Order: sequence, then structure tokens, then C-alpha cells
Amino acid sequence: MRRSLTSALALLALAAPLSAQNIDALDAAALLPLAQAEGSVTVYSFTSRIGNVEEAFEAAYPGIDMIGFDMSSTEQIARITSEAQAGLAGADVIYISDAPVVLTDLLAAGLVAPYVPARLESVLDERFRSPLLAQRLSTKVLMYNEESYPDGAPVDNLWDLTTEAWTGRVIMVDPLQRGDYLDLMTEIVLQSDAMAAAYEAAFGSPITLDEGVANAGEQFIANLFANDLVLVGSTDDVNAAIGALGQDAAPIGFTSYSDRRDNEDEGWALQVANDVVPANGIVFPALLAVNPKAQNPAAARLAIDFLMGDDSDTGGAGFAPFYVAGDWATRSDIAPHPDAIPLEAFNGWIIDAETTATIRAEVADLILTLQ
Amino acid sequence: MPPILRHPGLWPTLAVLTVLCLLVAAPLATILGETLGSAAWAEVLASRLSRNLLWRPLATTLTIGVAVAAGCLLIGGFLAWLVTMTDVPFRRSIGFMATLPFMIPSFATALAWGTMFSNGRTGGAGGMLEGLGVAVPDWLAWGIVPVILVLIAHYYALAFTVISAALSSVNGDLIDAAMMTGASRRRIVTGIVLPVVTPALLAGASLAFAGAVSNFATPALLGLPVRMQTLSTRLFGMIEIGQTERGYVLAILLIAVSAVFLGLGNRLLAGRRSFATITGKGGRGRVMELGRARWPLCALALLICLVTTILPIILLAAASLAPMSSALFSDWTLHYWIGEADPAFARGLAGILHNPQLLTALGVTMGLGISVALAANAVGLVVAVTTTRWHLPLLTGAATQLSFLPLLLPGIAFGAAYIALYGAPIGSFPALYGTPLLLALALTAAMLPFAVQTGRATVAQISGEIDEAARITGAGFLRRLWSITLPLAAPGQIAGVLLIFVSVIGDLAIVVLLYTPATPVLSVLSYRYASDGFHQFANAVTLVILILSIAATLVAQLLRKRQRNAA
Repeated sequence: MRRSLTSALALLALAAPLSAQNIDALDAAALLPLAQAEGSVTVYSFTSRIGNVEEAFEAAYPGIDMIGFDMSSTEQIARITSEAQAGLAGADVIYISDAPVVLTDLLAAGLVAPYVPARLESVLDERFRSPLLAQRLSTKVLMYNEESYPDGAPVDNLWDLTTEAWTGRVIMVDPLQRGDYLDLMTEIVLQSDAMAAAYEAAFGSPITLDEGVANAGEQFIANLFANDLVLVGSTDDVNAAIGALGQDAAPIGFTSYSDRRDNEDEGWALQVANDVVPANGIVFPALLAVNPKAQNPAAARLAIDFLMGDDSDTGGAGFAPFYVAGDWATRSDIAPHPDAIPLEAFNGWIIDAETTATIRAEVADLILTLQ
Repeated sequence: MPPILRHPGLWPTLAVLTVLCLLVAAPLATILGETLGSAAWAEVLASRLSRNLLWRPLATTLTIGVAVAAGCLLIGGFLAWLVTMTDVPFRRSIGFMATLPFMIPSFATALAWGTMFSNGRTGGAGGMLEGLGVAVPDWLAWGIVPVILVLIAHYYALAFTVISAALSSVNGDLIDAAMMTGASRRRIVTGIVLPVVTPALLAGASLAFAGAVSNFATPALLGLPVRMQTLSTRLFGMIEIGQTERGYVLAILLIAVSAVFLGLGNRLLAGRRSFATITGKGGRGRVMELGRARWPLCALALLICLVTTILPIILLAAASLAPMSSALFSDWTLHYWIGEADPAFARGLAGILHNPQLLTALGVTMGLGISVALAANAVGLVVAVTTTRWHLPLLTGAATQLSFLPLLLPGIAFGAAYIALYGAPIGSFPALYGTPLLLALALTAAMLPFAVQTGRATVAQISGEIDEAARITGAGFLRRLWSITLPLAAPGQIAGVLLIFVSVIGDLAIVVLLYTPATPVLSVLSYRYASDGFHQFANAVTLVILILSIAATLVAQLLRKRQRNAA
């Protein structure tokens, strides 16, 4: 009892002079002894790749146990909200996508807080530093089967998907069950002007809107659903459907560009359709944040510092699980993956989370009436 | 003093009501409270969204519920009759196998269906049938037909369990008497057997209906590609995208609709109270001779059992060994079970037996399964006894309705309601979030209908005479419960405990929102693997759940046999 009290007091003495701001300014070397005193760090992660990070982190910083929990962004949001209500500390680090909801529901409510390692200020664009730190960019874009279509993507305009040739052959995850796909639909509505121009390019005449349809983006979604769009439950179902080898006329659909890395393991032939007007889908950030009431504030910051990679070309051990074709590092000093289309040449819309959040619910309602 | 205050059943009934209020009514009141005055009501009931948000899913849900209830009665009833009342060969094996489908999580059966029947609509090479060159039409691969069939294959075991428990307690003396007085076989069935098992038939149908109506996994897996929605998939979607209030409104409406249906069943049961036939004496049932129909009926029964038990298990097992889901029976490896982490294989994931969380999850799951099964059954039996013995105006009805309410609650909504109420500290009472107690409470509440229904089906047949006699000689309520009701109800209770144990360890919907890193459970572990695309690992964990279920079933069989021998 006395010993645990003493060590608690020692920890308190150690941590007391460090207000949140002070601790934010420390570099990894200064964080390390504090983090080692804390002993562990809990990470909620929307990707299973946290398992690999765990090993690398514990090898780099012995004495700090990283406890990673892999759960979807949607679940994290529900869990973090519940934990705050119950007064539980829960996670120290939050690694999450679904930016529109994170910013409006978590950051605005003070349930997560920003942290950007000072060493990275100069290599990160402003948009990747605030309101929350973005570690990398991920995608939900049009992909096709390169074995089935060896001459390249079978469509060059999103509106092609609404034509008879693709009736019952466009596949995606139900946007009312996965936030990323709702963000994709929302972006299409936000990009209505570009969608109108693309319509004209596809059919040669200006778009006419159905009654009750407000813009070209909404019209596209309505036509897509009317064209017997096939909905499935997860991105891996989309991947298997469009990617499986041995198909004569494989369907086409929206999924993650980076899932192409599993082609060999899974027997897929996924390829991204990059030459599509007005765009092939969305590019969105994977965010890193700290719990403002973290039990292990120093270890939390050290973990984020680690996840952002070291100063080598590929980001080193901490970033290794994310250095894959189809994910782009936000750090300007990490070299683009050699096998991937560089971000500048990639034809996806980069979402603006705050704008998306403003009409996301309306788009969800629209989709509800179409299903 | 008004007569109600002197009623002997007042205090037991009030005690039961209090427990039910804490377990069921309070969480429900919380979600009701959160939607009070919300715009969600108008949006769900009367807006341009209503058609897709409520009416179409509602129609689909009810169609599924009624069809599944009918199918389960037919199959479950047929098998129960065959096993308990006839001289069909392999009675034991059929009886054992007919309880197995319920041990297989419905999502596993749905996946197995997909492995067989899926077609080109979701791309790829399709299922085994298409691989063999058989073109599978959309209606057979996706949508309401496969959902109904898969759910019947899952829930008929419930109907079987309840009906066979009732049939095996049909008093042999009555049948003997009928035979001696020259009644025909058919007359015995319609005149004695059917009336006696009517409560069990209604119970079986209600359970199947309620289960089908709130099932999430199956319609989600098999309905989505043709954009079929039920209320529970709709509700899940709403909660997933953060439109919790609409989700709650849907949950409340789903409860209301099912309450009407199950209320009808209860009314039928309550209106026919003259089934008391078990008097603690009397011989066991007499065997009906099937004659020439013996072997054909046996073959039919075995076929039903094989298709709904062995086949999905084989597919699951194969899928936990095959690296590629498109070639289920080639290149088998044990990596997904015992492999060390290998960066070149399965994205560097080690086999499930190397996952440190597996052991913790195994412990938590077993602990939850056993404690919830016992707790729910204890509460359920007391509720059953209290509500069948005494009929106090309003109070008894309220207790009955409350004890069945959880059936109508989709698990995911139940989880949400429990977090809404017990997730935050209430006064000086600390938050339960993050403790196994929260999981145990929610699961106990969710399993109550099963417990109460098993309790009622058995208790309704226990003659009031013994109880009366004991009461007259001065035995108190608890004393009578312990030394009369419990022993007589025991065979039914073992079935009930087993049923709840397997439901708990296979449950995903309720625990998925309630579990925390400190309290992992197997089903969530399996779900995590599956949602990350690690299907082989998911199937392996599902098989672990399955093995636990089968072990529990064997233990229950043994117990029942010992009891029978003792009697």
C-alpha cells in the first residue's frame, strides 16, 4: 500500500508541472521516461494493422505496453461517447476515419483533442494539422477487374454507371451502414456542378432534373439506385465481387484503392479506374487524436509520434504497415509508394470534412427514399 | 383493507414486477424518453421517408416472422412428435441433432447458404452450385426466400425443444385410457396430444416469430444484395450512421407491432387453462407404431437434420482451413488455428490459438453463459409460477408483458438502451459500463422470454392440486416453489438453461455495443476477424463457440438421463 502510494506520488510529482500544453511541446526523447513511468498505452484503431504497429512500438520503446483495439470508426464513436458518459478513461489514442462525424460529434464535444508532434509542423500541410492530425489519406473509389478488362477501365465517366450496360452490375456497400460510403455519396452531391458537366460530356445534352431532385449530384444517385445498384455489407464483399479471378464480365464498384495490395493473397484482380470524369471517388484522412482525459498522456503522445513515422524515406517501422500502394502519407518528406499513382495524379476528390458534415444527413435521407 | 392487499399473490407479484422493471422497463423507458417530442416520430411515421424507413421493412419483417413461425411449427413439431411419441429408428440421434441448429449462430448458417447458393449478382464465381454449372436465380440466392429458409433452419430447433419437452410429459395413463376405450390413433392425437401440447405449440411459434422478426445477421447478409430491408437492418443502419433517435423510434414501433402478435398468442394460452395433467404420477408416454412409414419418415427426419446441422458445420470447418474462399476444399492449412505470425501469410496474423485475447474471451464467454443461464432461468421460473398461479388485475398482465418484451427488442437496440441507462452513474450508483455485470444484466434481460416461456410451458401443466395440498398443510410460497414446482419443472428447466447458455455464447447483437476491451467475448472476436476480412479466423472462432455449445448440449443430455434414471 505504502509503496504504491509512494510511486503514485512520484508519478504525480513528475507529471504535475506538465500542463497539457507543456506535454504537447515535448519531443520523443523527453516523452519516453514519462511514458515508461506510465507503462502502457491504449489505442482504438479503425484498422487491424494496429497489430503490426504494436510489435514495432514495443520493440522501439521497451517497457511500454501498447494495447491496440481494432474497431470500426462508427463503433469507436459510439464507444468513446459511452465511455465519456460513464466517466471511463478508455483509449489514450484514437486512430479513426469518418472525419465528418469525428469533427462534429467528438472534437466539438471535447471528447478527443488534437495533438501534432512539434517536429512535424514543417512537413505537414496546414489542412493535415488542423483541426486534427491526419496520418495518411485513404480512398473509396471506382475499381474494376483488370483480368476481365485487360484494356483498362470499362468506364470513363461516372454517368456510365447509370446506363443499361451496367444495370445490376454496380456494387458498393450500403451508404446507410458505412459512413465512408455516405461520405462518397455526399461528395457527389457537393460536386454537382462537375457532375452536370460530366453528364453533358457523357450524353451530349445538358442534364434535366427529375421532379423533387435539387441538383445533378442527387440525380446521379437517384439514377444509380434506379439502375439496380447492388448493395453489400462490407468492402471485402465488394472486393470479392468485382475482383475475383476468372470472370468474363466482372461487375464494377466502389472500394479502397489500397485493397489492391491483397490481390495476390485473395485471388483478386482489383485495379483502380483513374481516368474517370469528373472523379473516381473520394480521398479522406485517417485521423490521430488523444483523449483529453487520457490515463497515459505521455505514452499517448509518444504513440502518435511513432505512428507518424521517423525521418527515413518510407517513414520507418512506425509507418511501415501504412506504407502501401493506395495509402498516401500526409508527410511531405515520405516518398510516394513506387507502385501507386501519386496523389497529385490521382483522380479522386479530397473531402472537406466540415463541408461534408453540413449536408450528410440530407443525403442519407435521399438515399433512404431510393432504397 | 381492500381485498387486493390481502391477496396471497400480491407480494410475490410485486417483487417480480420490480425486478422486471429494473431489467426491462427502465432501459426501454430511457429510449422512449430520448425520442419524446423528437422530430424522428414524424419522419418515421409520416414523411417522404416513411415508405422506405418503416412501411416496406415492416411488411417484409412480418412476412418473415409469420412464415418462419409456421415453418418452425411444422418442422419442429413433426420432429418432436417423431422423437417422443413414435417408434421411429434413431430417435436419440434425431432428438439430439434437432437441437443443434440453434447452437449454430444464424450468421454462420446464412454464410453457408451463400457458399452454396450465391450467384453472379455479387460477382465472383458464385457459390458451389454455380460452380457445378447450375444457374441460381436471384430469388433463390438473395432476399426473402433464403432469409425465411435460413431462419427456419435456425429456429425450428427452438420449436422442437419446447414441443418435445411438452410431448414427453404427456401422461401415458390418458393415452392408455383412450386406447382401452377404443379411440383411434388419430382421435388420440387430436383429442389428447394436441390439446395438451397447445401451450408448447404456441410457445414454439411465438419464440420463432419473435426470433425471426428481430434477427439481424441473416437479412443483413442475404437481403442486402437485392436491397431487402427489415426493421432490424433498418434500425441497425440508423444507429450505425448516428441517427439514433430514428433508430429508437423504429425499435419502439417494432416492439409495439410484435407485442400485438405475441399478445394474441398469450391470450390464446390464457383462455385455455384446463391442461393440468402432470400430477407427478402416471406412466410415461406410450410409443405409437408407425408401421410401413417408419423408415421413410426416419429418412426425412435425418435429411432435415443433416442439412441444417452437419452441412453448415462442414462448410464452416472447411472455410476455417481453406486459404481462398473460392476454393473451399483445396490447399487446406491449420495456419488459421495454430500458425505463428508470418508476414507473407494472412497479412501477418497468427492463428487464433496464439491470440492472447482468445483465452480471456473464452473465460468471459463461459462465465457469462453459465451465470446468465442460471440467473435468467431462476427469474424466469419465478415469473412463470407467479403469473400462472395468481391473476391480479393489471399487475399480472404487466408482469407477463414485461417478461416477453425483450424478445421484440433487436439486440442492437437493447444494447443501446442499456448503455443509455446504465452507462452513466445514477446518483451514487456507479456506471456499469466496462464491467461484466452490464453484459450479464443485459443478456439476462434479453433471455428472460426464453426462460419464462420454458417455465410457463412446464408449469402450466403441473397440477394445482399438489400445490394446493401443500398450501393447506402450511407450506409457504418459496417452500412450495423449491420442493414441488422445481422438481416437477426440472426436465423443462434443463432444456431452458441449455437454450439460454447457447444463445448467450452465440449472441453478437447485444454484446457488440456493451463489451469493452476488459470484457472481450468470443462472438465479438469472431465478428472482428470477419469484419476485417479474415474469414478463416472468424470461422475458426465460430467453431470454438460451436464446440462449447455441443459440449453443453451433451452435458444437458447426461443430466436429463441421470434424472430420468433417478425417477
